[in-house]
Order: sequence, then C-alpha cells, then structure tokens
Amino acid sequence: MIDELRAALDSDRVMESKLELHLYGRDAGVYRGNPSVVAIPETTEEVVEIVKIAGRHEAPVVARGAGTGLAAGAVPTEGGVVLVTTRMNQIHEIDPVKRTAWVGPGVINLDLSHAAAPYGLYFAPDPSSQAACTVGGNIANNSGGPHCLAEGSTVNHVLALEVVLPDGTLEVIGSEAPDPIGLDLRGVMVGSEGTLGIVTRALVKLTPIAPDIRTLLCSFSSISDAAETVSGVIARGVVPAALEMMDQRIVEAVENWLHAGLPTHAAAILLAEVVGETAAVEAEADLIAEVARANKALEISVAAGEDERALLWKCRKSAFGAVAQAAPNYYLHDTVVPRTRLVETMNKVYEIGRRHDLLMMNVFHAGDGNLHPLMMFDASEPGMIEKVQAAADELVEVCVKAGGALSGEHGIGREKRDLMPLMFNTADLDAQARIKETFDPFGRFNPGKILPAGSRCFDQSGALPPGAWV
Amino acid sequence: MTAWVTDFAPTTAELNSCVACGLCLPHCPTFRLTGLESASPRGRIAAMKGVAEGVLDLDADFEEAMTFCLNCRACEAVCPSMVPFGRAMEGARAEITAQRPTARRRLRHLLLGRLLSNRGLVGLATDGVRVMQRLGVSRILPGRLGRGLRGLRPLRPVRAPALNGSGPTIGLLVGCVMNKWFSGVNTAAVELLTRAGYRVAIPGEQTCCGALVVHDGGIDEGRRLAAINIRAFDNVDRVVATAAGCSAHLKSYGKVISEGAQIAAGAADITQVIAELIASGKLPTLAADSGDVVLHDPCHLRHAQRSTEPPRQILRAAGYHVIDADPEGLCCGAAGIYSLLRPATSRELGTRLANLIDDRGELVATSNPGCEMQIRSHLDRGYRIAHPIELYLEAIRSSG
Repeated sequence: MIDELRAALDSDRVMESKLELHLYGRDAGVYRGNPSVVAIPETTEEVVEIVKIAGRHEAPVVARGAGTGLAAGAVPTEGGVVLVTTRMNQIHEIDPVKRTAWVGPGVINLDLSHAAAPYGLYFAPDPSSQAACTVGGNIANNSGGPHCLAEGSTVNHVLALEVVLPDGTLEVIGSEAPDPIGLDLRGVMVGSEGTLGIVTRALVKLTPIAPDIRTLLCSFSSISDAAETVSGVIARGVVPAALEMMDQRIVEAVENWLHAGLPTHAAAILLAEVVGETAAVEAEADLIAEVARANKALEISVAAGEDERALLWKCRKSAFGAVAQAAPNYYLHDTVVPRTRLVETMNKVYEIGRRHDLLMMNVFHAGDGNLHPLMMFDASEPGMIEKVQAAADELVEVCVKAGGALSGEHGIGREKRDLMPLMFNTADLDAQARIKETFDPFGRFNPGKILPAGSRCFDQSGALPPGAWV
Repeated sequence: MTAWVTDFAPTTAELNSCVACGLCLPHCPTFRLTGLESASPRGRIAAMKGVAEGVLDLDADFEEAMTFCLNCRACEAVCPSMVPFGRAMEGARAEITAQRPTARRRLRHLLLGRLLSNRGLVGLATDGVRVMQRLGVSRILPGRLGRGLRGLRPLRPVRAPALNGSGPTIGLLVGCVMNKWFSGVNTAAVELLTRAGYRVAIPGEQTCCGALVVHDGGIDEGRRLAAINIRAFDNVDRVVATAAGCSAHLKSYGKVISEGAQIAAGAADITQVIAELIASGKLPTLAADSGDVVLHDPCHLRHAQRSTEPPRQILRAAGYHVIDADPEGLCCGAAGIYSLLRPATSRELGTRLANLIDDRGELVATSNPGCEMQIRSHLDRGYRIAHPIELYLEAIRSSG
C-alpha cells in the first residue's frame, strides 16, 4: 500500500518513519493510536487516490486537520492511513457580493477571517483554537465557539461541500442556494467527524463584521451569581454575541501568563459581548450591566478599545493551554446543560472533582450552557487515567440527567463513543448506524468513532455464514 | 530510565509543560511552509518527549526534526502554557551533538567557538571581505556565496570608541561579528549612552556571546565563552548588547551555566536601554518628520524577549512613521547559521519577507545583524537597512 501511495503522491508526502507515526498518533486530547502510514495530499484528486488505494488494501482512513481536537476524532485508534489536510489550505475564491468563500479543508479558521476582513466580512464559527484549527476540522466537528450563541455553529455557515466518499467517488453536497433541492445532506455530513466522507472543498458563508461592539467584563463572588446573571440576561430578551464564564482557577492561570489585569480575587468572571448598531449595542450593554449589578457583581467594566477587547478574548481563548501551569495533563470535557440548571450542575461538577481528588477548573460558554470542565492530573501517576475517566463519565451523566447533551461542539470521537447510550436508545443508535452503513458499508472511514459497537440493532459486522438468518 | 546523556538535556518539567493544544502551529515558520507535525513546535516537543520516554530513538529522523527548526521561538511567545521551547531545543541539540557525533558538526562548533571569539581571525576575514567588496566580487560569485556577500554592509575601518562619562557603568558586549561588520551600531550605542550620562566600558577580554554555537548544540564551547564573558564583565552595573541574538542569549546565561544568573538578570538589548532613556527624558524626542520606515522585528527580540515596543519608541522619537514589515512576525530565515545549513528554507523565508518589505517602503530598520544581512541579500539595490539607534542618532545630529 505504501508503494502505491508513493506512486500516487510525491514520495516525501507519504511518511512511515517511527517518529512521524508517533506524532500523528494523537491530537490535542488524551487518546493515542498507531497509524501505519501518513499521507499529505495537496489536491482533491490525490485524496481520491489515497481513498481508493486504502480501500483496495482494506485499510482505515482517518482525516486530520491541525490536530487540535480533544475527543480523539482524528486519532487513528484502529490504525490505517492518517490523511492530513494541512496542505490543502488554499482559499479558492471569496465572493464579497454573495458573501461566500470556496476554501480547502486545510485553511486555518482565523486565516479565512483575515482574508475576508478587507471585504468587511468574517467566518463566524470561532472555536477557541481558531488561530490553529482548520475549516475542515470545524466542519467535521460542527464546531462552535464563544460567538455561536448568536451566530450558530459551523452547520449554519456551510452551503456546499465537495466530499470524497469511502468508495472513492467525488460528490458535491448542497449548493449556493440556501435550500437545495432534494434531501439536504449537509446536516448529515457536517459533524460526522470524517466517518461518512472527507471534505476536499467547502463553500462557506461569510458574515458582515458588525458596525459596533461592546465587551463587558463582570466579576462575581460566587459562581451562582454569575450563572444567575447569564440566565437573567437571556430572560430579558437579549442574546449577546457571546457570554462566557471563567472560574477563579482559570483566571489565575491565564493572568499568570498574560497579565491582563483580570480580577483574580473573584470566584468567577463573565465575559459578555454585544454587537450591532451603536444605539442597540449601548442599550444591550447597559442592560447586561444592570442584570449583573442586580446579581451582586463585584466589578463591571467595558473594554476601552480594540486592543483591550482583543486581550480579553486572548485570555478566554488561551485558557485551555494556560492550565498546564497547574499540572502536566488535563482532560477537558465538553457537555451541555439547560441554562436554567447551570448553578446546580456547576456545584455537582466541583463536587465530583472533590470526591475524586482532582483539581477541577471551569471555563465555558455560559450563554448556551456549554460546559468545559477541566480536570488537572499527572498521567505518569499510576491509575490516574482510570480515575480521570471515571470522574469524566460521572460528569457526563450528571449533565445528561439534567436534560443536557453529550457534546456541545468538540464532537464524540472515540472519547464519548461509549457514552452515546446515555443519550440515545437502541432505535436512535440503529438509525444513525444505518446512515453510516449507507455511506460507508465497509466501515473504512474513521472506524471506531461516534457509534459504539453494536449500534446496529442486528449488528452484521461479524462474519455471518451465508444464508444466516438474523 | 532516560535516554539523555548530558546535563543540558530537555528536562521532564520543560517537556511536561506542553499540553499539545496546538496554538503554536500557525506561528511556526516551518509548519507554515510544510504543514507537517514534525516541523511544528508541538511535534518537536512530542518527539523530545518520545525520546525521553524511550518510545522513540535519538536517530536521524529525530535529528532532522530538531535541526529543521529555526529556533526563532515564535511558538514560545504565543504559548499559554509558557513552554520554554528555545531552552528545550538547545538541550535536544546538545544531546544530538553528544549522541550523534559527526566530524562536520565538531568542526562547525570549533569554528563558531574559536574563530568568532578570536578578534584577529575575524579581522582577517573582514579584510578579505573588504577587498572582495572593492573588487565587486559578489556579482560573479555563485548563488549562496554571492548572496551572503551582498547581505553585508560596505565595511568601514573600525575605530575604537572613546570612553567618557562618570555615571553608572554599562558594559557593552560589542559582539563577535557585530563589532567588525556593524561597527556603526556600536559607535552609535556608545555615543547615545554617553550623551545620557552613562559610562560605557568595553572590556577587552570579552568574547563572542556563544549564542550561535549553543543554538547549534555546542554547549561545551558555549559554556567556555560564557565563562570568559562573565569574568570580563565582572565590574559593570549591567551588560548591554547591540545585537538582538546576543542580548537574548545573555539573558539566558543562567541556563547555560549557573554562574551566569547574575549577568543574565541585568542584561538588556540596546533598544530597551535607549527606549528607557527616551521615556525618562534623558535622550530627546524630536519634533522632526523623518518619513516612513519599515521595521522588521528580530525573532530574538520580538519572541525570545517579548520586546516589540522599544525599537518603535526609538524610531518614533526620531520622527519616523513606523510601518510593520510583517504583522505575523515570521522569521526572516537568517536564524544564525541556519541560512548556511538550510539555504533553501532560509531563502523561501527571506524572499517572503523581502516581498512584504517591497510593498511597504524603502528604508528598513532592524536590530540584529543576521536579519539585516538576510534582508539586504534578498532585496534589490536601492534599499537602506539600518539599526534603529543609528537612525535615531542621525536624526539627532541633523536636527542640530
């Protein structure tokens, strides 16, 4: 297979050294895999070739962008070919009139926004890793970000996708029209984590940059005051562009790095952003401040200019990285709870941390109830990984029982695969498995992800004798 | 069980501080060029970790991954976990030197350690280059050599600067290459510091700071040079270097040898000192309008020292309107001796920066000799490239 791949691509873009395989065996999360080869295509045609060659050799294909994922979506847990899209990073076309762009899957999220800025446009999904992560990865995980509260997640910004299917055929799903004729399969492909197809080009929507913006920083002496403020703001009919919470531990870690003057004495801070016309923005900022005051805010300040605003967001978006100061490893979770149950869930989250003797930090998208509890640990301590996993499973269960969801934006990947039955009954899982089977009957694309073993009610993946009756 | 054999190896704490978030990736020039994990800071740290844990071998692939790095430390400046990447990389290269010895590298370290620290030899080389410049040899020399020669300034005979003043004493690290080939910068430094009331000492026993050889994994030579400088600058209040690469390395002397902590604590880049003096009014802020200048930040100032304001403050005080050469701050490709070891990658980055400058203006300022040579050799004639303090001193003189 490797020889065939070398013949199809430049030989230096097919790698099998021990070192390269080690590096491509992981993403930004905790899972590890062992790929047999790494291929770096530059064109759609090369992706087709790789998929066909891997298919002939019955090898799995795992697509990977920048490898900033946290749920092991791009980790080759069952070996095979890691297909890296970083060199398919061309912005093919920006249409400022239609406000769309055709991009390669390896384009970095923030690069697209920078390229669109001269036209007064940007790409709205803004995961915290946006300076590094790729649009392909955003599509695979239906990524959100602080600003998806008002703007929606990636699926709301994808018009069409050119995809290579597991049998090597090339299809275009969707069109420039917002409502394509026939079945709208974009929603099936977006968020499928490379299990149904590999995106080789995407037509994405670009959003006009708002004429005015206000970013507020509010600090509180308790998490519940902050959480009440979040519910209060939304109950008053304002949907801020972003509404983010960081707890004291996180603020300390970030402050230690950036010295941005964040209030490290507060139990929690809220970062709220409103965008739009100046008058509306001012009214909404006033209302948020009023709700915060009513909930005993310690301080309320408004970012004085673009530099201050950028610094606040840098604090928020670098939070995950900054935690390494506390312990060498972290396990970051991604779950959702109804906003109304934020306070009780947060209390349970800290309680789980205490019970398992794990330092728990929290930084999250409070506006849409998307929690990101971080557990800090040292993986070199024996038994630690199991302990963390047990605590993590409890966390998810607490959130799902509160009426929440398994994942807000990071995807299921391998990490939460076996927790899927918490959310879905056998009929639900069977329906999803049927979709997977339709696209990928031989289970070649990113096997072992999203759907737990046995999802198909009558799982036929095992070798059945011909004529067997199930 | 560790795979390392030197006391300069990457430490477990250094390697563990990386959580593999990947925020460094887009800031890494070699990752930008290749898209490869092994050419990214995160990948390089993971490779070091792999070797440390015995999962990977310290083999040719490891050496390739480490030596492809420019050690520009752009990753370090954007790392929320504050991974000391530059330090770890120097450690990994020291290990490569120890565990994969080659005659070529030994010779290189000998040259970097002994030739650059020998003023007579640098002087001799200088004379040779001066003659070649007179004869216009650069035009007929092939590729790399010709480009290298074009990158140099027209050499002027070096004059020993006069020592005056009675204030606190600044020890000037004049630099191995800097003092011969960029003497105008040292002359300007002495004049500005003296004007501001400092006494400037230039100890004769000083030597090359050792940055180039330590970056290349030559820790033994690097420690020898550091020890000489620590003795030479024993009697000054603080040591100041006129090249960003040297000032960054002086600040890391404490990591090179334990006796280096004191000199490191007081070390500064000349731009930082002059900017302070302008801010405190000891040096003038001019009302003149000097026009546009395109500023290139050397990596070892911008990233390694997180210092971006001082050169801008100096140029603004000189009446210039400052335009950033490259808002992304990618390395120019000079990176010490990288331009000699990896000419193709160096050229790719040099051309990229030259194109950016080309769009922006004709007067360029930068504060590191390697960057200056690299930029000059990639730009057409008709551009002037100078150190911010030279432009500042000129502005003071012409304003009377």
